[in-house]
Amino acid sequence: MISRLFVLVFLPLIVRADEFFLTKVEPILRERCYQCHSHEFNKIKGGLSLDSRSGWSHGGDSGPAIVPNSPEESLLIKAINYQDPDYEMPPKEKLSGEEILILTEWVKKGASDPRVSQIKTIDTDWWSLRPLKAPIVPRSGHPIDAFIEHSLEEAGLKPSPSAQSTTLVRRLFVTLHGYLPRPEEIHDFVNNTSPDAFKNLIDQLLKSPRYGERWARHWLDTIHFADSHGCEHDVKRPHAWRFRDYVIDRLNADVSWDRFIREQIAADYFYPSQPELIAGLGYLAAGPLELSRAGTAPLTFDYLDRDDMVTQTMASFTSTTANCARCHSHKFDPITQEDYYCLQAVFAGVGKGDIEFERSNEVMTQRQELEELIDAAARLDTKILLQEKYRATVDQWIENQIQKEVTWQTLTPEIFLASGGTNLTLEKDGVIFAGGHLADQETYTVSGQVPPKKISAVRLEVLKDERNPKGGPGRAGNGNLHLSEVELQWFEHGSATSLPLKISQASADFDQEGWTSAQAIDGDLQSGWAIFPRINESHQIIFELETPIDTSKGGRLVVTLKQQHPPKHLIGRFRISTTQANAEAARLLSSEAQQALKEAPLKRSQHQNTLLASLALKQHAQKSLRLLPSKEVVYGVSSSWSHAKKLPTPQAPKTVHFLRRGSIDHPMHPVEPGALSALNHFPARFALDPQESEAARRAALANWIAHPQNPLTWRSIVNRVWQYHFGRGLCETPNDFGRMGSLPSHPELLDWLAIWFRDEAKGSLKDLHRLILTSKTWQQASVPTPNTNDTDNQLLWRMNSQRIDAETLRDSVLHLANRLDFTMGGPGIEQFQKSKGPQATPVLDYRSFDWNSPEAARRSIYRVVWRGIPDPFMEAFDFPDLGILAPKRGFSVSALQSLSLFNNEFILHGSQWIARELQLKSSNLTTQVDQLVELIWLRQASTDEQRALSKYAQEFGLAALCRVLLNSNEFLFIQ
Amino acid sequence: MNRRSFLWQSGGGFGGLAMSHLLASDGLNQPQAHLNGGLHHPAKAKRIIQLFMTGGASPMDTFDYKPELARLHGQNLGPSEKQEGFTAKPGAILKSPFEFKQHGQCGQWVSSVFPHQAKYVDELAFLMAMKSKTNVHGPGTYMMNSGFLLPGFPCLGSWASYALGNLSENLPTFVVLPDSKGLPYNQRGPFSSGFLPAVHQGTVIKTGSHEAVPDLFASKGFSFTNPQADHAGMALLNQINQAHATKHPDDSRLESRIRSYELAAKMQLSAPEAFDLSKETQITKKLYGLDQEITRDFGQRCLLARRLCERGTRFVQVWSGPQGATDNWDNHGSISKELPPIAASVDQPIAALIHDLKGRGLLDDTLLIWTTEFGRTPFAQGGDGRDHNGGSFVSWMAGAGVKAGTSYGKSDDWGYQTEEGTTYCYDLHATILHLLGIDHQKLTVRQNGIDRRLTDVHGHVIQEILS
Repeated sequence: MISRLFVLVFLPLIVRADEFFLTKVEPILRERCYQCHSHEFNKIKGGLSLDSRSGWSHGGDSGPAIVPNSPEESLLIKAINYQDPDYEMPPKEKLSGEEILILTEWVKKGASDPRVSQIKTIDTDWWSLRPLKAPIVPRSGHPIDAFIEHSLEEAGLKPSPSAQSTTLVRRLFVTLHGYLPRPEEIHDFVNNTSPDAFKNLIDQLLKSPRYGERWARHWLDTIHFADSHGCEHDVKRPHAWRFRDYVIDRLNADVSWDRFIREQIAADYFYPSQPELIAGLGYLAAGPLELSRAGTAPLTFDYLDRDDMVTQTMASFTSTTANCARCHSHKFDPITQEDYYCLQAVFAGVGKGDIEFERSNEVMTQRQELEELIDAAARLDTKILLQEKYRATVDQWIENQIQKEVTWQTLTPEIFLASGGTNLTLEKDGVIFAGGHLADQETYTVSGQVPPKKISAVRLEVLKDERNPKGGPGRAGNGNLHLSEVELQWFEHGSATSLPLKISQASADFDQEGWTSAQAIDGDLQSGWAIFPRINESHQIIFELETPIDTSKGGRLVVTLKQQHPPKHLIGRFRISTTQANAEAARLLSSEAQQALKEAPLKRSQHQNTLLASLALKQHAQKSLRLLPSKEVVYGVSSSWSHAKKLPTPQAPKTVHFLRRGSIDHPMHPVEPGALSALNHFPARFALDPQESEAARRAALANWIAHPQNPLTWRSIVNRVWQYHFGRGLCETPNDFGRMGSLPSHPELLDWLAIWFRDEAKGSLKDLHRLILTSKTWQQASVPTPNTNDTDNQLLWRMNSQRIDAETLRDSVLHLANRLDFTMGGPGIEQFQKSKGPQATPVLDYRSFDWNSPEAARRSIYRVVWRGIPDPFMEAFDFPDLGILAPKRGFSVSALQSLSLFNNEFILHGSQWIARELQLKSSNLTTQVDQLVELIWLRQASTDEQRALSKYAQEFGLAALCRVLLNSNEFLFIQ
Repeated sequence: MNRRSFLWQSGGGFGGLAMSHLLASDGLNQPQAHLNGGLHHPAKAKRIIQLFMTGGASPMDTFDYKPELARLHGQNLGPSEKQEGFTAKPGAILKSPFEFKQHGQCGQWVSSVFPHQAKYVDELAFLMAMKSKTNVHGPGTYMMNSGFLLPGFPCLGSWASYALGNLSENLPTFVVLPDSKGLPYNQRGPFSSGFLPAVHQGTVIKTGSHEAVPDLFASKGFSFTNPQADHAGMALLNQINQAHATKHPDDSRLESRIRSYELAAKMQLSAPEAFDLSKETQITKKLYGLDQEITRDFGQRCLLARRLCERGTRFVQVWSGPQGATDNWDNHGSISKELPPIAASVDQPIAALIHDLKGRGLLDDTLLIWTTEFGRTPFAQGGDGRDHNGGSFVSWMAGAGVKAGTSYGKSDDWGYQTEEGTTYCYDLHATILHLLGIDHQKLTVRQNGIDRRLTDVHGHVIQEILS
């Protein structure tokens, strides 16, 4: 049973006569208002329609037009009275006094209006929405051929004979690998007469990773993926390539289509134990991002950014134009405006950004355990810390601690300055006393020679002194001090520039609560290290260097002590020293821990044992964490991003409103996540528990899409695959199976393929390729037109010949030159020179790229695609504008394109490379020309051709001839 | 591929004549001789030069005189919060630091930043109340060029190329001359052909580059390329392609590619001359301000625009200012300091262009448009800067079919919002297409389920400024 979707369309339908309204009021409205405010005239100015009761009661942009019984509150009455100069209706000529009176009277009496909106159904009985039902295969043999030959026969047509083997193999390489083969690659096949030879070649090419590289580009086009934001601030997304690699890998692994859907929409939800699949979430972040709008118009940004995700998801997976329902319910297809906003709500919890993820479950588990251990150490969790499995680690640490002996060399200050006016005086043993003016803020800078060999840590002692309040060591009234931030620099002897030294850890013998040693190196001047209430005693803080510095050549260490907040908390007396001992050994333990260490092992209390274990295990865990492989990053989506900024904590999904006429100025009711109500295989409103995670919304949509009974999904993908093999889909509009799209040329075949792909092939694209490529239909020759009405080849009585696309052209030239670099994956290759632009977007110069640089020969799929500044050469060959979805490539011809192919440096280099290759193999020009023809056209030159080509090559060189052949139609078109 | 859809996709690339010949039996878009080259009704304009002021040219400091701002100067009367799309919270009312005077027969007000254009106001038709749907540069620039706030839609020049093709086979149909300091907001987005075939996109010419058209000739450093080798190579290619085409007699794409090399050869002959300004007289060069540092860049490009139009380019777009917040019309910091230099850089060249087009009789069938992506606030930002404001801004048109010396629409007393005769990009675009002989509602391309138009579902021809 086909479901019927009821869409409200406000058309006047008189149900119950109302004398006064019909005879007096309605004629006025019709005469004076309908022209701008009715469906009849197709004008709903200001959002207000006056042709139904609901029209005026919902009202327009300014709200309800009529408040029954209350003319003084009714905007319509105010407007016809010209009370507000901004609202004078009708604008051109005021109503007569009598007309105004009638309308006022009508409103006063309750505005009885018998016109109810007519309910019009938009039919869901449409080919793409019908449930999939297996058609009967009309004859025996290959099922595809059965359907195709059957319809050819009905039209009185015959299929064409099979193409020649070289033509076939050329075609196969291009469709599966995306470049033309070299003669030696096809040699085996052409000479193999076994009936399975072609089938084996298909298998061989499908097994090769070149397959994933070729087909990934189709998917990246379809979902408008690029390596930069596009729009005003077209900055690079340095981690977008992870998604590109993910697509290549998944296609090569032949992941089933339903799983591919789930991974890209909600891998985090479905496959938590495969964290590496998070890379798939790059799918939702593939499109452009208007960075400027994210900053200055955030609400608009949210609706438009989600619009892009909705548009892409519904078009790429279900061939549906849901986005046409943004301002009003879809005019042609059964998609309500409510459906559209429910789809927006699916993505209300995520924003685009750089998302970190683990490369494997194993690493993830290890990292989680270590992080939990650090947490346990921080809260002194006895149960965890005193587990038997950690005992050896803890004991070893205790032993090291007891044995450790660290010697410190005092830094003899040569220069010591105070920027805030404090008087610093050098006393004996490198001690500096701070006296005189007590400034609010201070920065002490001390420098001195250090002993040769190396420095691994720097120590600051703050010393008690009777001259300071309460005995110091600080100068604050209570004897305290606040060290906001510490910086270290190293001037090697003879070097004019300094090397900033990175501090990996700070530790002190005592930390005031809330003012810890770690805060002295956190980069925040408002936080720092302090010692209250342990005044009137000396303390020390030790700074461990991330990497020890070699001081064998001598040099000067500069220590900067910033004391900024709160005011007047300055250090009163201090000394600096350095050590070359192991930095970890130098780390200070609290006096409590030192006490515990001194205790005989058996006499230690449980608390003391826990404390020591916490120190040992924290150090162990931190060290182990550093050794773990770092997380990977993909440009994707997560709830931790919003408005292109990372949030401190994940956000709850934002509220999505139904927007009247798609305008953010007219939010109506909030909506919940859902999908299209025209289909009933899955609830159209997901009705998720509010407790569910954000990802559950995306997961529900993924389930709605990947559902075996969703008729759109399975038709959509088999049609796409068909299109890439034949140059045209069975339905010619791959992103639109609605009423504005094309009708399928072979609806039964499309349905048969969809069901076969879902049930027999279990969603395996490689099986689908095998099925198509082994059909006689695909293997037909592209013969000239016979006498037929089907010149368009709708019925596939021959193969469509196709011009190779931009990537195939580029990769083929490289491959024929024997230079194509098959290195896979990794960050994209920038085939341009980049320089700073006037604002965030750089200037790209494609013409200055060095075609002899090492990465110039990588496959085209690995190029960095800058959305707003595409490669002009690729663009000339119809590389699409990735501001929008590009479900199929265009075909254009122009003088500019021909100039590009004839004169672009890439082609000139390519001609030179190919010529050089051939010249190395043979010094005979005739042989060279023969081999060039075989390489580029995969055939022998005729005698006439040989003569003409040799003559040209003789005069202008082999490279010049190669350039001509690379411009030839025979090279560019696949038959 | 069917002939019809192929021609649809590749059509505009062959140039007007070739295309109308190829399309004759297909009943698709084709310029009609009896309509003066129009599609749906007689065309008034054959070609267009569009001058685009990047950054949002301030209306109340150029053409939209607002004495109320002087009276209320310094008072906090605007919105108290930052508005969606503003970059900051609005400050107090800011009067224009420039003196305004009425000019010409028409009495159009012009501020002292445009002394040269002021002399030509009787040639211009002003749209005094243009409105944008955004206060953000990127979307605003898209909107004024393609009618949509989002990327991926064809711009006006691409639609013109798609609908009408070339006037000459010797030059690109649609040429873009960006500021020498850089591309506008959205990079090449504003001249993209979007979902139309790439052949309709703007050909970007960097002035001062040694090459008129990209890849017009092989670059030096390849020993096997030289005029003789290239010429003989083209001939050999033609021979090879002809032989190949005879084996595929029904494939019109092959013929088209053969033809495209013939056109390429013609372009090689014609383009260098078209782009060579050295043949212009000293008087002309001086007129366009090529002798002064401040006007040289924009002046050269205006002069080039005139030369290209003379030689048959359909649409030339000349940009003033790169993207970013400096060297353009995005005067956040100080109207009094930032506006005069950028205004001076275009004023004399624009006046020269009007004068020159008129003198050569080109203004009769060339449409000249001056526009920007939005206006600026009547409220101060910082000291005396102004923030973005899509509420009201000014554009003008001149030339073919335009009623000279008129103005249409009115902003409110502050120039903050439009008040009467509001026009959007849709109306401007509908009017431009109308002058080209195109009904904006009939020029459609189906894309992902929608019959797309330059004017989306909007647009009225602004009859009030048509002659």
